[in-house]
Amino acid sequence: MSSIEEKFNQISPSEFFYSNRDLAGFSNPTRSLYTAVREFVENALDACDQKGILPDVHLIIKAVDPEKPDPKHYILTVRDNGPGIDAEHIPPAFGTVLYGSKFGLKQARGMFGLGATMAILYGQITTNKPVIVKSSSDGEIQNYFEILLDIQKNKPIILKHTTTNISKKGLSVSICLEGDYSKAGTKIRDYVYETSLITPYASITFDDPKGQKFTHKRFVRDIPPPPTIIRPHPHGIDVERIRRMIVESQFDIPTIDDAMIRKVKKDLGLKNSSFTSIMTKAEKKWKKLTRQVRVVVALISFLKMDLDKLNKIKIEDLDIPNKKLIYWDFGDSQSKSVDMDPESQYYKQLTNTVQGEPLTTFLTKRFQRVGPTTAVKFAEFAKLKPERRMGTLNNQELAQLSDSLQKFDDFMVPDSSCLAPLGDTPLEKGIKKFFNPDFTAVIQRPPSAYSGFPFIIEMGIAYGGDIKSGGPHVYRYANRIPLLYDEGSDVVLKVVNDIDWGRYKVKGDPPFIIVSHICSTRIPYKTAGKENVADRQEIERELRLALQFLSRKLSAFMSKKGQAEMAKKRANLYAKYMPMIAEFCTELAGKKKMPDYKKMLDMDHTVQLKISEEAKIENN
Amino acid sequence: MKTTKIKANKKADEKQKTILEMLKSHGAKIYTDLDNGQFPKFSIPSRSVSNIVYDKKFRQYILGNSAALRSSRNSSQLRSFTQLIWLAFFANRLTHEKKSSTLRDVYYSSQAFAIEFDDQSESDNIIVDLEAVTSRPREDFHIFPEERSSIFGDLTIEYTIPGYEGKRMNLANHPDGYSIGPSLTTAELVDTSAEIVIAIEKGGLFTRFVEEQVDKKFKSIIINTGGQAPRSTRTLLKRLHDEMGLPVIVLTDGDVYGEHIAMVIKSGSANAAHLRELTVPDAKWVGVWATDIEKYKLPTIPMTESDIKRCHDLKNDPRYQEGIWKKELDVFLRIKRKAELEAFSKYGLTNITDKYLPQKLELARSL
Repeated sequence: MSSIEEKFNQISPSEFFYSNRDLAGFSNPTRSLYTAVREFVENALDACDQKGILPDVHLIIKAVDPEKPDPKHYILTVRDNGPGIDAEHIPPAFGTVLYGSKFGLKQARGMFGLGATMAILYGQITTNKPVIVKSSSDGEIQNYFEILLDIQKNKPIILKHTTTNISKKGLSVSICLEGDYSKAGTKIRDYVYETSLITPYASITFDDPKGQKFTHKRFVRDIPPPPTIIRPHPHGIDVERIRRMIVESQFDIPTIDDAMIRKVKKDLGLKNSSFTSIMTKAEKKWKKLTRQVRVVVALISFLKMDLDKLNKIKIEDLDIPNKKLIYWDFGDSQSKSVDMDPESQYYKQLTNTVQGEPLTTFLTKRFQRVGPTTAVKFAEFAKLKPERRMGTLNNQELAQLSDSLQKFDDFMVPDSSCLAPLGDTPLEKGIKKFFNPDFTAVIQRPPSAYSGFPFIIEMGIAYGGDIKSGGPHVYRYANRIPLLYDEGSDVVLKVVNDIDWGRYKVKGDPPFIIVSHICSTRIPYKTAGKENVADRQEIERELRLALQFLSRKLSAFMSKKGQAEMAKKRANLYAKYMPMIAEFCTELAGKKKMPDYKKMLDMDHTVQLKISEEAKIENN
Repeated sequence: MKTTKIKANKKADEKQKTILEMLKSHGAKIYTDLDNGQFPKFSIPSRSVSNIVYDKKFRQYILGNSAALRSSRNSSQLRSFTQLIWLAFFANRLTHEKKSSTLRDVYYSSQAFAIEFDDQSESDNIIVDLEAVTSRPREDFHIFPEERSSIFGDLTIEYTIPGYEGKRMNLANHPDGYSIGPSLTTAELVDTSAEIVIAIEKGGLFTRFVEEQVDKKFKSIIINTGGQAPRSTRTLLKRLHDEMGLPVIVLTDGDVYGEHIAMVIKSGSANAAHLRELTVPDAKWVGVWATDIEKYKLPTIPMTESDIKRCHDLKNDPRYQEGIWKKELDVFLRIKRKAELEAFSKYGLTNITDKYLPQKLELARSL
């Protein structure tokens, strides 16, 4: 048993990801090049978004030896004008798997910067070249790093580190990797193009290996409001997450050393350090005290010692069941204990510290939108005592808690302030700029949630203009990432295909597009490749409502357009036939002069008559 | 002699005048509509099956009261409206200048006026529309079908067409017969020694009858209908009956189609329900009957599926509910065999004229 555990321990995260790189989108040179581009571009955009910087992203792909046939080595560089990374964080960030700054629950393109590290890892494996990072977080000094990743130890190996003076903030990451641009090129260009549609506030430049430059300038200057980091919703949580939250809520009894005694003295503002003056001062200043000082004061309240004496003991154990405080007295060289009064407020402080919060506090403090009443109701539902300390739950009870959190229906819907949709105005501007359409409509649905994860659907529809026929062409986005692969099994496609376009007066080979954007703290991707969204019932429903709304708008446009076309066609018909009728009837009636028929060619006249006739027919 | 000539021309002139007046009144109405900014329209009696009814008084099919409006306001009818007014315009010219045209000629003439017809059947349809609007057969507008029927016998006619006005012709002068075309249809019937008109279904038998001098032997005018009799032929038959007081008998093949050829001469077709004066209600079908097949032991061939179906169709026709029409139809259905007129050749080439025809003529008097 123990030997197996040892083996497990020997596999570092780097090794794990290396052996599972297919899952992360590094299955072959074509897909890998595309995925690497995505990861770096998305990291750059995320970094700028978080700091409210209008992103300038420059993507460069260069062949190491252009003469060679694909697949071959490429240098991929992504440069941004973001906040940069401090020198001390660069080696672990780029040389360790599972290191990143994107923790917390909010909408972001990627998670934990994991993908970028995977790309670096892939580059290193295929070309044995280091990642080159240039970063300036202050706009004055730029740090230059060449880093290799020690796969077995999951540690960075710094090959080179220099600094230079610079005038701009930002980050530049360069990797050398095996790729196949001749096959991946279309997808990468599509990716850049589609990204700039959903990120209208970013300027993205792409220099491709064939010397072509693709520039997408920003055409919106407002960055959508950044998402706020929020606490999780009870429905979106699992046992492992609860365990981690409990650990976060528990504290050890601090070590009482000279430094701690000095801190207590300072914080309490003690002139003399007698027991009584400690307790009086502490009571007065309680609210301002740090947790550590509070714990020390609580200990003193039971030990009834002054600070000098306190310095000569070591706390051994807090025996909560027997309500005893056990300590080692250095002076007497023996273990001693004192009883603790469970009614005392200091007792509560200590138990809180070692056993964690009561269930109700845990729920109200650490989850979003749970109030005390709901917490008590939930405790009853979960068959756990409301005052039960979180630190004392065993595995079975944890599972029971997790299970109940999923099943309890009275939690409020998830908070959506952690989402950052693009907004309907920028979306509409983007669509208009990209397609120059005759008709555009956009909608942002109100927030909704699936399994505790909030989400918002944004959708746009456009017809005519520069759009190619053969529509609907569907542009899928999730958290501002274009989804280019595996569209067949995607929920958006499913919803689009379910629509009977004929009902909305869209017929034949219509030139129209649909832009769909799903924003969520967790997109339910079907596969780890993050290219297609699973058909969750709630998401499907919102997509359907959004599309139906837009389809109705399109239908109204189409019937107007149809009417205009019909009117024009009719006018042409009359222009052709009326003179003939006039000519023939003139001779037939034995007249010389043609009748005054020209007024009937006035389009409004005929349309008016036509409309009134149609109205009549409808009334009948 | 002179008086008849003047009378004939006067009659033709009067007819022409009425037609022209009628066309002019239609034109004037459209002209006024256009001048007033109104969309002109035609009311066309509906020729759909539901509007075709059998009229016992007229002893023919007629159109009911339902009519369709063809309005230039409706853009989907604009094209056919224009076609119709063009046709009226063209018919006006034809009538005015006393020029004749055929169905096919009308189709081709349309192109000169930038009027589009997809094919001749479309223009034929518009011609029927004009007939329906005016209740006049196309022949009145000088539009004729391609001729295929002919006439032979002692009948003097006088032409009314331009260039031949007053010229007379005896129709027994040419043994191939005279084709029944525009000039013959519009001619005045002047004189005849014949006492009966024999309409025969087939050209071959027509020639035989001429050779055997049936016209002389039986004092008859022989007409080859060429299958189902064209309108001009039916008009001529009617005029021979009405104006010259000649009885009309019809001789057809011994099958259900033959029986119906006779019926159409007698009481018209549903296709021409919008027109009167095309029927000879006193015309008599004298054979070949189904009962003749048994009586004369004629060689037969079996009826086809479509023959039988046709029998059943006709059994629902109100005109086939009584007398010889019903009786023969039932016999056809019973024996399920049919015989050609040529079947009499079995007994000799002249058997039909020597034996069969006299018997039938005798019988016709009692019918």
